[in-house]
Amino acid sequence: MHLKYESFVREPLVDGDKSYRQISEDIISPIEKKPGRMWYVGFFFSLALLAFGVFSVTWEVYWGIGVWGINRTVGWGWDITNFVWWIGIGHAGTLISAILLLFRQSWRTGVNRAAEAMTIFAVMCAGQFPIFHMGRVWDGFFVLPYPNSRGPLWPNFNSALLWDVFAISTYFTVSLLFWYSGLIPDFALVRDRAKTKLRKLLYGIGSFGWTGTAKNWQRHEMLALVLAGLSTPLVLSVHTIVSFDFATSVIPGWHTTIFPPYFVAGAVFSGFAMVQTLLVITRKILHLEDYITIGHLEAMNKVIVLTGSIVGTAYLTELFMSWYSANQYEAGAFKWRIMGPYWWSYWAMMTCNVVSPQLFWFKKLRRNVVFTFIMSIVVNIGMWFERFVIIVTSLYRDYIPGSWSYYSPTWPEVGFYLGTFGLFFTCYFLFAKYFPVIAVAEIKFILKTSGENYKRKMDVIEEKPVEEFVLEQAEHH
Amino acid sequence: MSQKKYWKGLGDLNDSAAHQQVAENEFKEELPLGLSDTLLGATTPRRDFLKFLGFSTLAATIVSSCEMPVRRAIPYAIKPEDIVPGVPNYYASTFADGGDYCAVIIKTRDGRPIKIEGNELSSITKGGTSARVQASVLNLYDKTRLRQPMADGQEATFDAIDRSIKDAISKTGAQSTYILTNTIISPTTKEIIGQFLAKYPGSKHVVYDAISYSGMLQANEACYGKRTLPTYHFDKAQTIVSLGADFLGTWLSPIEFSKGYSKGRKISAKNLNLSRHYQFESNHTTTGACADHRATCKPSEMGTIASALYNAVVNGTQPALSSAKLNELVTKAAADLKKGSGLVVCGSNDVSVQTVVNAINDKSGANGTTINWSVTSNNKQGIDADMVALSAAMNAGQVGALIMHGVNPVYDYYDAKKFAEGLAKVAVTVSTADRMDETAQKCKFVVPDHHYLESWGDAEPKPGYYSLMQPGIAPLFKTRAFQDSLLSWTGATTTYADFWKQYWMTKLGSQEKFDKALQDGVIEPAGDMLNGGGTFAGNVADAMAKIQAKKAGAGVELLVYQSVAIGQGGAWSNNPWLQEMPDPITRTTWDNYACVSPARAKQLDAELTGQNEIVAAKKVIRIKSNNYELLLPVMVVPGMHNDVVAIAMGYGRDAKVGRAAANTGKNAYPFLSYNGQTVDYTAEVTLDKTTEKPYELAIMQTHMSYEGRPIVHEYTLDEFSKNPQVLLDERKAEIGEFAAVPWQEEGKESAAEKKMDGQELEDGFRKNGTMYPVYDHPGIHWGMSIDLNACVGCGACVVGCMAENNVSVVGKEHVMKAHEMHWIRIDRYFSGTPEDPDSIQTIFQPMMCQHCDNAPCENVCPVDATNHSSEGLNQMAYNRCIGTKYCANNCPYKVRHFNWMDWNGADCFDDNLFEDGRRDDMNDDLTRMVLNPDVTVRSRGVMEKCSFCVQRLQDVKLSAKKLGRPMKDGEARTACQQACPTDAIVFGNVNDKESSIHKLRREEQSERTFYVLEQIHTLPNVNYLAKVRNTDVIVGANVKTDEMMNLHI
Repeated sequence: MHLKYESFVREPLVDGDKSYRQISEDIISPIEKKPGRMWYVGFFFSLALLAFGVFSVTWEVYWGIGVWGINRTVGWGWDITNFVWWIGIGHAGTLISAILLLFRQSWRTGVNRAAEAMTIFAVMCAGQFPIFHMGRVWDGFFVLPYPNSRGPLWPNFNSALLWDVFAISTYFTVSLLFWYSGLIPDFALVRDRAKTKLRKLLYGIGSFGWTGTAKNWQRHEMLALVLAGLSTPLVLSVHTIVSFDFATSVIPGWHTTIFPPYFVAGAVFSGFAMVQTLLVITRKILHLEDYITIGHLEAMNKVIVLTGSIVGTAYLTELFMSWYSANQYEAGAFKWRIMGPYWWSYWAMMTCNVVSPQLFWFKKLRRNVVFTFIMSIVVNIGMWFERFVIIVTSLYRDYIPGSWSYYSPTWPEVGFYLGTFGLFFTCYFLFAKYFPVIAVAEIKFILKTSGENYKRKMDVIEEKPVEEFVLEQAEHH
Repeated sequence: MSQKKYWKGLGDLNDSAAHQQVAENEFKEELPLGLSDTLLGATTPRRDFLKFLGFSTLAATIVSSCEMPVRRAIPYAIKPEDIVPGVPNYYASTFADGGDYCAVIIKTRDGRPIKIEGNELSSITKGGTSARVQASVLNLYDKTRLRQPMADGQEATFDAIDRSIKDAISKTGAQSTYILTNTIISPTTKEIIGQFLAKYPGSKHVVYDAISYSGMLQANEACYGKRTLPTYHFDKAQTIVSLGADFLGTWLSPIEFSKGYSKGRKISAKNLNLSRHYQFESNHTTTGACADHRATCKPSEMGTIASALYNAVVNGTQPALSSAKLNELVTKAAADLKKGSGLVVCGSNDVSVQTVVNAINDKSGANGTTINWSVTSNNKQGIDADMVALSAAMNAGQVGALIMHGVNPVYDYYDAKKFAEGLAKVAVTVSTADRMDETAQKCKFVVPDHHYLESWGDAEPKPGYYSLMQPGIAPLFKTRAFQDSLLSWTGATTTYADFWKQYWMTKLGSQEKFDKALQDGVIEPAGDMLNGGGTFAGNVADAMAKIQAKKAGAGVELLVYQSVAIGQGGAWSNNPWLQEMPDPITRTTWDNYACVSPARAKQLDAELTGQNEIVAAKKVIRIKSNNYELLLPVMVVPGMHNDVVAIAMGYGRDAKVGRAAANTGKNAYPFLSYNGQTVDYTAEVTLDKTTEKPYELAIMQTHMSYEGRPIVHEYTLDEFSKNPQVLLDERKAEIGEFAAVPWQEEGKESAAEKKMDGQELEDGFRKNGTMYPVYDHPGIHWGMSIDLNACVGCGACVVGCMAENNVSVVGKEHVMKAHEMHWIRIDRYFSGTPEDPDSIQTIFQPMMCQHCDNAPCENVCPVDATNHSSEGLNQMAYNRCIGTKYCANNCPYKVRHFNWMDWNGADCFDDNLFEDGRRDDMNDDLTRMVLNPDVTVRSRGVMEKCSFCVQRLQDVKLSAKKLGRPMKDGEARTACQQACPTDAIVFGNVNDKESSIHKLRREEQSERTFYVLEQIHTLPNVNYLAKVRNTDVIVGANVKTDEMMNLHI
């Protein structure tokens, strides 16, 4: 048989003395128990936020976009800022599940379920903004290419906004499929452990009749690979296309070729930060420290410092280009970002995104849970400001000084944003309660390679002389 | 033959009875409803679920869409002969608001006036209009207009009022009867007043103008023996010196003067003749913005400057004024005036100052060339002393009856309190105001006059130059012409209409001539206007001594000025179009404020910085004179004299004047004073900081500098005449290298070496400046040109566009949010040093959709709602627009306007009309009569922008088609072009080699032509002509002189 062997140098991905049974117990039991008091508090608080969001949006749709602060010069404000922010957050999930799967990064197993769930909820939140930023949301279906009696009249395939429609809906669909297909064996596990009829029925439906046969597993693995293959380009394409909204325009500060890689890096950056935020809380509350280890957090912090540096380089490149291009409008746009009335947003972005993640070069800080949590929030704030800087501070002072203006949000805009937090956390709380927040099957898959108690057994092997080990291995085949 | 049996299944093989039954009814499907006894009890099988779902959705949709709102439309049961639904009728008429005169054409649709155009047959206004003339049609539909006569605040009948008034006059005695009017330029009205005065011997007619020209009239009487105003020929002037006269915005007859002035300002490489304009002023006016040389002074210094100028012209004396710039400009102006063809005008209401100005004009030979004493002007006739005497007589109880027409002294008289007290002592007070204005409220009887669009009438703006007024609509309310009222109080039985017709029939001689005159609207002597001088007999020494004697205080001086939009107040205060028209200089709407210079603002803690320009809430200061004080927000205006504060009149109206007028600004009239001879519009004041809550001002343009960007081009006359190619060279440097393909032979030459004219440059850039295929534009291709030298920033185009295109008013709150809807705006840029008001140069740039052939807005629309027509128009399909605002973001000119709210009830949501916050009654059924039926009223959530008045273009093309001929150049005109008093806008088909737009771009003005942001390859169809100033230096866009650019404010 194939030896499941991983070097001793690598730290275990599952801490403690775990058996398959213990894993099932640890991860599935929260689903079977009544949630704690904090869950109720959090859930109803999220619901209240969601309700306020619904009220804010209703107010806006009823009275018109004029209740917002955006204006003739700054046509997009918090709405599209939040859209890009949420979409960016939605990147980590697919990156973790698809790209890391292809790269055989087994540490992903501890975090991928929650990250994918986060992706889906984040994309749901993001989708609200382009829908409700439309002046005539009831005619929003005009963007869909369907045969119609108006000529037929098709949407404008040259418009980056239309590409967004396709990119995001594709991304959402594939992410959802990926997430759900991974859930099937775990649902089956919940079903098999179920002691109530209702749970058995619902998880039974949810697990699509999974029996755990070898054929089941083989197809499951195959599907995972295919979907991973499909999602990999999507990780790059979605934010690339979102960046096209800006890059294909003529507005200084928007019209740059650096946007696609810069946006993707930024998306991964913010996505990982959001995953950190959620996981630090989840592992604490659901007592999953053995599965989401400090090692996991550190691995993600490494990605954060990498992408943060890429993003920082992109900022500096933009600045360099605004000077090097010798284009006064371009130079002006960046001058107004840095020194104009919105200077604080630029410097908030710079501090949060470029300066502070550099602290993650220190191993001590990377492995510090509290620090990681604080940094994850800082990065998310910074990435929100990045989108705000790109959108608002490019528009507010563009070509013609006669039409320059200023923009501040009004309560329905803020309410809309808070509402998406409500939507996100309502979904997340339901997920944490009813879904296995860690992929049980995948953890079991790596347990014997990377589990702490199994790693200890590797001592014997590690001490063997190489020739003997090779000989032994050869005999098995 | 085989007996083999083929079977499809076991049932078929066995052929059971059950199977036979199934086989017979292969597609049997029973209606599930039939199985149940009751409809509600029926079970719905799963597979029928979708059917039910579909049916019920469809049914719900149909049922819910059945209820349509009922719109009232009353068809013509019997069609009037001359009204074809959908076809406009035009009537020549006359706009006269006191002495403000404009010959107009009324456009009516289905019997209601919807648009005012200038009458080109008039040799005085020559087809020009002003913002107020354009907006006057909205006053017709003002909801606040009185709908019936009033007596003691109650509804009354004309008969009852007539009886009371006649009784009262006979009771109180003719001796004590007064008619108080503003300037009347109507000959028939004057005759009727004459009849009234004859009927009641001893009764008097007093003329009172809120904007007094008494000083000029009295000075002219003393100097030339005529109490009148001359005609000024700005077109003939080579040197124009204005001492505080805002002759392009508000002074005397701005439309007439703008027309003339612009003639001398249109320069081309072939004709380098440009008049030179010196402006001395205290505040910053549009006229000052257009000037070549500008210096500021205190209002009280105006006389001293006039004296200095006189001395410099006559004696060559070196002036010794308060600033070096004043000295310099007086010396220069004097030298230029001596060359002849000079013209000095002065906005002062002081007799002595005007006497000196008359003397300068006399000495410099202006009389008979630029100043015409043969054909004078009747625009203003009020003498301040008469009004003061009347007020005194009223207070002394010597007035028994007072009939007031066109005046509102309780609001705009300098001593309104005293007048009001006097009014209370008059037994019979009659006002003909169209609304319960401040004076009408205090009158016993209010007999509302018609709106001018409902009236017959006439005007004689200059002796021998007549203009007829005919109604565009029957009176909407129970109102009566002032003349009819007078006739009836005189006891005449004839109506004014008959009287008027009789008068003109007699004067003109025949029905044909009468018809012709009515059709033309004007009756004028043939040929050019006679021009003659006068014999100056003024006492200059005395006047100068009087000026000398008046000591100017050391403190801050206040100037009460007219805003270009609202003017003196009147009904204009309640005109939402005018309230929302930004002031040309401050770009502020819906308020008045204390204009101060940046240096003065610094002392008041309201420093002008790039940061605080974005804050709408402005510091409130206290302006205190001897007898009056106001709390007003600070408006920082570069170019204001550092010791001057300027406040616009016409604001702070009573709530009964209308919803739009109420709560906008404060009344500045009480600052006025009487100097024993004339009314002063200035006062010595102190300015104090207060701790009042900052007041929010709705400013449409917050940034002042054009930041040195080549979006406007300014040159001195010297630069331009030395090298007329200067602009073309700049354009070549910018886009030249993209005009040729680099791998072609000609592309290898450096851009500077290339011999390219404008056309080659543009064509090359169009073709080679892009990776994408280039489209041909055969047939019609619309284009527009705007001359920055001719534009005076008056705003007539802005209001004209609002009227033509049903542009929504958004109200103060939304102007503050930058939600305004104006399809055309006039950007105003200052350059120079803020602390030095004399260094400021100001330029106007009208900006509207540039109809780019490679429009950035078009390719980003996800639903193709904005697209390009084959005629080069960038067009909007409102029905298709979903309102993503992407196009507005991607528009480099920021000319797209989004319908943020339901401004005008075109929306499908009930009750969400945004009118309470806007408080202007724009959506009242009455007010909506002003809407142009040719233009869609846009609903909430869609984008809109300038359409080049596509409805007019279609109309012209169709008319030409019906006549079976090609469209002629000049037939298609946009509303802004037609409204413009300076003909700054030229429009037409650029593909037509004979069109004026083609000739202008390619021949006459090819050197001055430029496109805004040409280098981003938007290929605009609007071009501008660079500004050429007849001055020594252009301060803008120069790091050494343009401090505002360096400070970024």
